[in-house]
This record gives sequence, C-alpha cells and structure tokens, in this order.
Amino acid sequence: MSTFQIHYFASASTYTGRNTESLPAPLPLSSLFDTLEAKYPGIKEKVLSSCSISLGDEYVDLVSDGEKSGNEGLLIQGGDEVAIIPPVSSG
Amino acid sequence: MEDLETRCASLRTEIAAAEAQLTKLKRELHEAEGAALRAQSQKTASANATTGQRTKSKWPLHGEEYRRYGRQMIVPQFGLQGQLKLRDAKVLIVGAGGLGCPAALYLAGAGVGTIGLVDGDTVEASNLHRQVLHRSRNVGKLKVDSAIEYLRELNPHPTYIAHQAHLTPREAPDIFKDYDLILDCTDNPATRYLISDTAVLLGKPLVSASALRTEGQLMVLNNPPQPPGDKTGGPCYRCVFPKPPPANSVTSCADGGILGPVVGTMGVLQASEAIKVLTSAGESVEATPPSLLIFSAYSSPQFRTIKLRSRRPNCAVCSAEATVTLESVRSGSMDYVFFCGTVDPADILSPEERISPSEYGNVDSAGAQRHIIDVREKVQFDICSLENSINIPMSTILASAYSAPTLDADEPKRLPSWLPPEVAHESNKPIYVVCRQGNDSQTVVRKLKELGLDHGGERPVVDIKGGFRSWREQVDPDWPDY
Repeated sequence: MSTFQIHYFASASTYTGRNTESLPAPLPLSSLFDTLEAKYPGIKEKVLSSCSISLGDEYVDLVSDGEKSGNEGLLIQGGDEVAIIPPVSSG
Repeated sequence: MEDLETRCASLRTEIAAAEAQLTKLKRELHEAEGAALRAQSQKTASANATTGQRTKSKWPLHGEEYRRYGRQMIVPQFGLQGQLKLRDAKVLIVGAGGLGCPAALYLAGAGVGTIGLVDGDTVEASNLHRQVLHRSRNVGKLKVDSAIEYLRELNPHPTYIAHQAHLTPREAPDIFKDYDLILDCTDNPATRYLISDTAVLLGKPLVSASALRTEGQLMVLNNPPQPPGDKTGGPCYRCVFPKPPPANSVTSCADGGILGPVVGTMGVLQASEAIKVLTSAGESVEATPPSLLIFSAYSSPQFRTIKLRSRRPNCAVCSAEATVTLESVRSGSMDYVFFCGTVDPADILSPEERISPSEYGNVDSAGAQRHIIDVREKVQFDICSLENSINIPMSTILASAYSAPTLDADEPKRLPSWLPPEVAHESNKPIYVVCRQGNDSQTVVRKLKELGLDHGGERPVVDIKGGFRSWREQVDPDWPDY
C-alpha cells in the first residue's frame, strides 16, 4: 500500500505521542485534518487549528473558515512528506 | 549565631556598595573612553583638513576596530562595507533570555553600532544554564542590566540602550521607531503578535525565533519591509500563524523545559540572519524567499526548511485589507491578551475538595490508608516523588480525555486504562492528587469524580493545594526546587 510520511513537531508531537508516522496515500489535503481527528480525537481544536502545514518543503494553506486557500484540489501522494508545525512561542 | 548573621548582613551591604561604586566607575570609564575616541578622531580629522593629505587616519575605522573585526571583514559576503553598515545599524532585541542573550552576544561582538534590549524580568538561578550573558552573581538583577554589563566588557564600542520593562502595546511603537531591525526573543504569543504588528506598521524587518524542549523555529519576517498592502513585502507572523494557539495549550520553558544549546542555536541563528539583513540592506540583491527553519535536535534530519508564501491576501496587518493600525495597537483596541486568550484560574474546586500540604503531612505521618496520585510528567516524578505515590502523568490523562463517550447513557462508565485497578477498587481508601503547582491536580480531581470514583461523595477525592511548591514551603524545605 502506498503511504506518505507525516512529521509532528512541538505540541503536535506531544499530542500524538510520536514524531513521525506513515499514513495511507493518496489523501486529499482537505481531508488531512479529519483523518488526524479520527485518529487523535480532539487534535483539530487543540492543536491543528493554529498550525502551519507543509507538503514537501512548501507551506500549504488549510484555513478552514470558508476562504479560498488555493490548495483546495491538492492531493497528498505516496512518498510525500507532510509536516504539522504548531507555533512555538517560548524562548 | 546572631553575630554571624550581623556580619553576613554587613558584608552584603559592603559588597552591594562596592559593586554600585564599581558599576559607576565602569560607566564613567566607558563615557571617558568614548569622549577620548571622539576627541582623537576630531583631532585627526582637523589635522587632515589642514594638511589636505590622505593619511592612514582617514581609514573609516579605528586601528583597534580593524584588529577586532578583521576576521569577519575578510569574509567576501561581509567585507568593509558590511562592517560599516553594522556600525551604522540600530538593532532592538526584545527579550534578554535564552534567545536574546546569544543573539545580543554575537551582534555586540560583531560591532552593531546601537543595541537596545527590552526586558522587565530579573535574573533567576534557573536561567543560568541557557541565558549566557547572565552570571551567578547577577541573580536578582534586571536582565537588561546584567546583559549590558557583560556586553560592555565584550565590546565597549557599541551604544547599549536598556529598556527596563516588558514591552507594552502603548510603548512599543515609540521604542521600535528608533531602530532599523527587530529581533523577537520573547516567550509568549501575545507579545509575538504585538512585535510583528508593530514591526510591519513601522516598516522594520523582523527576525523571529522560538524554542521549547529540543526544538526551535526561525523566520525572517516583513523582509523586505514594504508598507501594508504592498504584495512585494515579506510575510509577517500573522501570515504564517493567523490564529494563536489555544491559551491552555501554550507551554513555557518553565513548564515544558528547554535544553540550553537548543535555544542557544536559535539565538545564534537570529544573530546570523540579522547580520545578513543589515549588511545587504540598500543593495539590489535578489530577495531571499521567506522560509521557516525548524531545528529539532533529536530528529534526523535536525534542520528542515519550509518555503513560506508571500503576504496573506487577507492578513489583518500587512495586506490591503489590514484592520490593525498603529493607533489601534497604541490605544489597546487591538487587544493582544484577548486575541490570544487567557487560561482560567484553576480554582475550580470547593474548599472541601482540597487539603493543604501541612494537613496532608499529618495524614501521612499518621500512616492512614490512602492513595496518593502524582500527576506530574514522568521525567519530573523521576527527579523526586513521595513514598508510595502513584505516577499518572497529566498528558496520559488528557490524551484519553477525548475518547468517544459511551453511546448508551445507562451503560456504566468504563474506567480508563490509565487508572490502576487498586485505585478503582479499594474504595475505602481516600484519594489524594498532587502536582507541581496545584493546577493540574484540581483538573484531575474533577475528572476522577466524573468517573464516579468518589462514590457519590462517600469517598474523599481531594487535591493537595499549591502542589509541591507549597509542599516545600509548608512541609519539606529540602524538596528539590527544580
């Protein structure tokens, strides 16, 4: 089965209890949050809502409040790398 | 004994007086040296004017500066021009902590002409492992003063400006306007948005970094610093993170921990980016595309770079649809604390549901039958714990808190897997819950009651008020103060 690799940083890695894992591909980018929510209940509200997301080495927009993000049709393919990047504010 | 204490007190007073005197003398020396340098250069300048000859003293830098900065001046990307640009530059570093210290150290060392530091905190012993400008003897001193004391010894040439208070929306624009570049070295979301907004509105590029535990983030924002609405300007903090994280998910270094070299790496990278921005300014170099650098010390690869987009078309600050203005920042109508949310005070339990550490100390020494649950993370439990206490980390409890509720309301509640069977079944024993500060313990008492462990109020389930912090104050002064 084809998979993509997803990396969790900061609070995303704390919430999921892991740094990285493989998920089944292909997956529409727009379904990413729901897929993660099903796997890690509560993650959407507590973590993902404020995160940056990257596909490959590019920032992608998943803002869900109805505006056009320009990434509506994107598909995560087998072999792709996705990163969940929460804002870290401490220092 | 009393004599000794009096002696110690008088020695402390003498030392404080001597230190104050020393600081005063150093400041006077610094001013005198500055005046001497200026007098010297005026003298040579007028001498040159009279003779009309080009002499060695017409070199743009002083002899000492060539020796001091030579190693960076012979780097092709930097050169004499780079040095002169740094000398003319004014950099504001907001936060004199784990990021600000290394950033300021390298920028002062490199010869940035004016360095401002903003911080209202004083140095604590728990800062010293990472905040490299502060020394043990400066515990208790204002961080900006402690930092500038070190920087002045490192390099007396720059002008150092101390802003001895936390950055506030009212003052931020007036402080920022005198600088060319801002470094965000702070530790909370509200201040990060304030710094980014102010930097955008005043047209200052911003080098932003953060760090927690083993990870860090770095971005150069608002670069180039075009006016709001100009699409060719660099994105701002809001473009990358338009929504602040939920307030109760924000972890500080005090709670989450931080490795010194991790935050040090991020601060040093900020200095490096600052030098790049300052020395390229004014040249028609191809703009470097904005990116987010993630450092993760325990991952492989350790560094990842994410290409960022240009300004967000509906950004509240830097787009044509901007709603945030300098006036709304200053007046407080852009309310950063409200925008980022606050954590409700944790006093969620009634007095009967709580017990003071000293009361628990009595229960403990009486040897009464009980369960004591410690909800700190395992790594903290391993540093110190009470005898016979059971460790159930808060993160474990929260992670299962969102599992789907049982659909059938009549079905008895299934107990979660993190709950040890003896706690569930030995219903004659009261349950005591303790944590580090006394907040999480209250949340867990609520949770245990929701699970029915108090048997409708028959079985005491209480939290230890103030956690181990109060335990140390009331019961055991030797309890490790980590």
